[in-house]
Amino acid sequence: MATSFSSKRHSILPPISQAGPKPPIQFSSSITIADSALLTGSHTITIRTESVVHPRARLDSSGGRITIGRRCIIHERSLIGAAPGGGLPTTPSRTSSLLAPPREGVEEETAAGPAGVTLGDYVTVEVAASIEAGDTVVGEGTVLGVGARIGTGAVIGKHCTLTPHTIVAAGDVIPDFTVIYSNGTRRTDRRGVADLRNKGQARQIEVLRRMIPSNPAKFQ
Amino acid sequence: MSRRPPRGEYIETDTGNKVARKATLVGTQNIMLGGKTVIQPEVMIRGDLVRSVPSSSSSASAPGSNTAVAIGRYCFLSRGCCLRPPGRLYKGAFTYMPLRMGDHVFVGSQSVVQAASVGSHVHIGAKVVVGEFAIIKDYVRILDGSIVPPNMVIPSFSVVAGQPARVIGEVPEGGHEAFELRDLYKTVGNNPQPAAPS
Amino acid sequence: MAPLTPYTYIQCPCSDPSNLSYSRASDSGSPIDGNPGFDDEEHTFDPRAPRSNYSLYPLEYLLYCEDCHQIRCPRCIAEEIATFYCPSCLFEVPSSNLKSEGNRCTRSCFQCPICIGPLSVTSFETQPDPNLLAAPDHAAAPHSGPYALNCSYCHWSSAEIGIKFDKSNGIHGQLAKLRNGGTTRLTAKERKERRKDILQSGGGGGGTAPGASGDTGNDQQAIDMETQFTNLKSFYQGQLSESTSGGNGLSSLGDLGFASPTSLSRIMSIYTGGSLHDKKSKSRVGSMREALDPNEGLIVADLDESAAIEKLHSEGIDGTVDTEQLLNQPPYLGEPHLHGRSRFGSELRPIPYLLRTKRSKRCPVCRHIISKPEAKIQTTRFRIRLIAGNYVPSITIRPLNLNDNNGAAGTPLPPTAPLPDTLQPLKPAHFLLIFKNPIFEGVKISLATPAKTPGRFASKVTVLCPQFEIDANTDVWDEALKDDGARRRGAGGGRKGDERPGSTQGQQRAEAGKIWERGRNWVSIVVEVVPASLRLDTLPTEGPEGEKVDMSPLKEDEDVLEIPIFVRVEWEVDAVGDDLGSSLASSRDKEAKEKRELAYWCVLGLGRVSQA
Repeated sequence: MATSFSSKRHSILPPISQAGPKPPIQFSSSITIADSALLTGSHTITIRTESVVHPRARLDSSGGRITIGRRCIIHERSLIGAAPGGGLPTTPSRTSSLLAPPREGVEEETAAGPAGVTLGDYVTVEVAASIEAGDTVVGEGTVLGVGARIGTGAVIGKHCTLTPHTIVAAGDVIPDFTVIYSNGTRRTDRRGVADLRNKGQARQIEVLRRMIPSNPAKFQ
Repeated sequence: MSRRPPRGEYIETDTGNKVARKATLVGTQNIMLGGKTVIQPEVMIRGDLVRSVPSSSSSASAPGSNTAVAIGRYCFLSRGCCLRPPGRLYKGAFTYMPLRMGDHVFVGSQSVVQAASVGSHVHIGAKVVVGEFAIIKDYVRILDGSIVPPNMVIPSFSVVAGQPARVIGEVPEGGHEAFELRDLYKTVGNNPQPAAPS
Repeated sequence: MAPLTPYTYIQCPCSDPSNLSYSRASDSGSPIDGNPGFDDEEHTFDPRAPRSNYSLYPLEYLLYCEDCHQIRCPRCIAEEIATFYCPSCLFEVPSSNLKSEGNRCTRSCFQCPICIGPLSVTSFETQPDPNLLAAPDHAAAPHSGPYALNCSYCHWSSAEIGIKFDKSNGIHGQLAKLRNGGTTRLTAKERKERRKDILQSGGGGGGTAPGASGDTGNDQQAIDMETQFTNLKSFYQGQLSESTSGGNGLSSLGDLGFASPTSLSRIMSIYTGGSLHDKKSKSRVGSMREALDPNEGLIVADLDESAAIEKLHSEGIDGTVDTEQLLNQPPYLGEPHLHGRSRFGSELRPIPYLLRTKRSKRCPVCRHIISKPEAKIQTTRFRIRLIAGNYVPSITIRPLNLNDNNGAAGTPLPPTAPLPDTLQPLKPAHFLLIFKNPIFEGVKISLATPAKTPGRFASKVTVLCPQFEIDANTDVWDEALKDDGARRRGAGGGRKGDERPGSTQGQQRAEAGKIWERGRNWVSIVVEVVPASLRLDTLPTEGPEGEKVDMSPLKEDEDVLEIPIFVRVEWEVDAVGDDLGSSLASSRDKEAKEKRELAYWCVLGLGRVSQA
């Protein structure tokens, strides 16, 4: 009864209009980026060693530079560099500093433009998660769950876990090893498995590299 | 497959599947549709994430063993939902495992399903996240916005909601017929029928 | 405010007081057609009355007894458990195990004490990612212990409370022996031996001076609730036997105090299952002393809360447990202190899954089974499933656009169209009620509504066609084989054929006494409502009998327009050959056709009335 349909084609990928300019890129030679990933914006998009970008992931550098660390996995439909003000709440503590002139000690700011989103190493951005631009930082080994939304200027520590549909307010600062679950409740991850998790991430990337046909040349 | 019907919003296959042209299906050779299944626009199915470690029981060379996503009959995948096989480390190596779905499964819009198996007559609401390797049995209703945690088993006739999802009620005896999706199937496609009066 | 989807609730006759006598009478005699208890025409059902709580159900929740010919609701049916099973591993638990092991899964199925998500067993050392490693067949992997329970949602781990397991299976048994922090708990045998040691070293039951409490600090740590109970039990047992041997046969006048042997043996028989109660103790007198040291079961209350206060300082309110978490905690006898339960999240233990059941349901009156699932857990079939939806016409509500002057007037809004948010007060609104007949005979339906809805804000209600007939639920193919233009019986001056307003370009008008539309086994009628204004100043200052009017502000959901409607369904069945009605037919005059009647109140929730 069951039929594999349309065996001739390997994918049905309806075209998506490339809105906006093609951004300058800085890719490591070892990355895996799907053909149908969407890169737009005017600032530089940097992707470091062995990171994987799934099909239909969107990276928008209109709001500032996007830097993705080593061995990150960016899943489909995620949006990195969303325009700020997507209806997310704000934490007053840091928004004041956001409105103020850019932070001190960032010399390349003038050369490379403002920082949009910075992901540390081993970061996983799950399906349909979105990160607003505006000096938003995600620390090493952090997992952003399905449909999570990170407000502009938020700083998320290392090895955090944001369960699906978590919302982090703009300018919020999340300490390392925080788990945000059940609609915003927080606790500390005491498992101490950060290294093991990173190893698992590496294994996953090995598999994904074989599965996702990479086409970094398309974005040159 | 050779003859194309006049260009409508949906591709209607010989077995009655209605697949929107604006749906994103990656790795179609690994996606099995049982027939009479509706895939609305902006749905995404990741058929490319196949099992990379051959299972011990069946040989990898068999043609059917490469299925990443298997969907039964009369399923309804609403606009913007996403089906992807769950992945995990198995004996030290990472592998994806197939996602199997029974008949009459409704998946609401913007939901993400990474279950290991979804039974028959299951209603998954809108904006639901079904975590990796969840097992959903038959006649289960998952209310809108629920987050089903990974590895959760949901027994038959459960009503489930919350973040994380928990069983909040039972499907009553008289509620079984509401899971039927035959009528809903008729209401979409290139020449949809109006809904039945009731 | 959330928009309201129109709903229909049906009142189960079990909640009608006039029905109680009926059900009792029918116990002795044969069941009676219809329901004579419903002839109480004076009484209007008020859906908002406090007594209406839990008596209204959507049609899906109702069952139907074929012998009593009556609707049965979850409140009145009698349930019988067919199977117990664990909702996580889906294994059946025999009911004999239930008595000894309790109502929780004794395999390895646990829930997270923090977030209630499922816990999975994961290996500690070699396991790279508990988030991704699933439980089902990881045992095949060459992992070696220790193992811990991990929550894949909130990442709680049983290692946080110091609990690790040597084996990956039989977690329930292992956990029962482990106390928080990982120290093992004494088994019954060990306890016995310890007692023996103490008795030997201490010499004599309870001879130790209370001054020895100085070293109870350590002892108390080791004494959990179960040990204390056994200690207390043996101490009092010893006391009882002493008093029996020394009994001097005096009168039982002084035999009333707490410390008297009789009351003691009575209390002990309550807590230990009556095995201690012996007839000889009746004549005992005198008082006995209480337990004095830990070996006898004495535990001095630990009133030093400084540790808890310090912890509260360091962890804050986030470290404490909430009520839900506390209530979910299973009782655990292994913990040392019983003064107050866990107050910190760091003390919570994994929760073994509560078992779930498959249940069959009986009619409360005739005791016939009206719903019976297959006992096997994996099957979803039912042996018997008499649901009301197969006997009672369903009522669907659809807003109707009559006042619009453009071409769309008179067409019911499609079910997918967004519902109007609110109903405008004092402006007539129309709704289509679609009655669908599920039975294989044509039915006659009579409706009755109060002209004004009960409650403070009385809306006007008019059912344009309160009496009509619906054709039988014939086979779809019979219908197709018949001529399309087949004439139908016009009921109540109803229109003919399958004319739809859509086909006649919707110049249809709602007329009194006429149905709106008719299909194979359904009829739609129009109901007109004039919602009341929700402003308090429009309320009369005095009721009709001069009583005071409730002028309190709008209560919750008081803005929902709910119409009580009394539905009477009448139909005829073939008396002969119908096994259900045969007893009746024989007792009465032998007519070929037999009249059936079913009557009940239902409530139509149409929408919220605008408060502007």
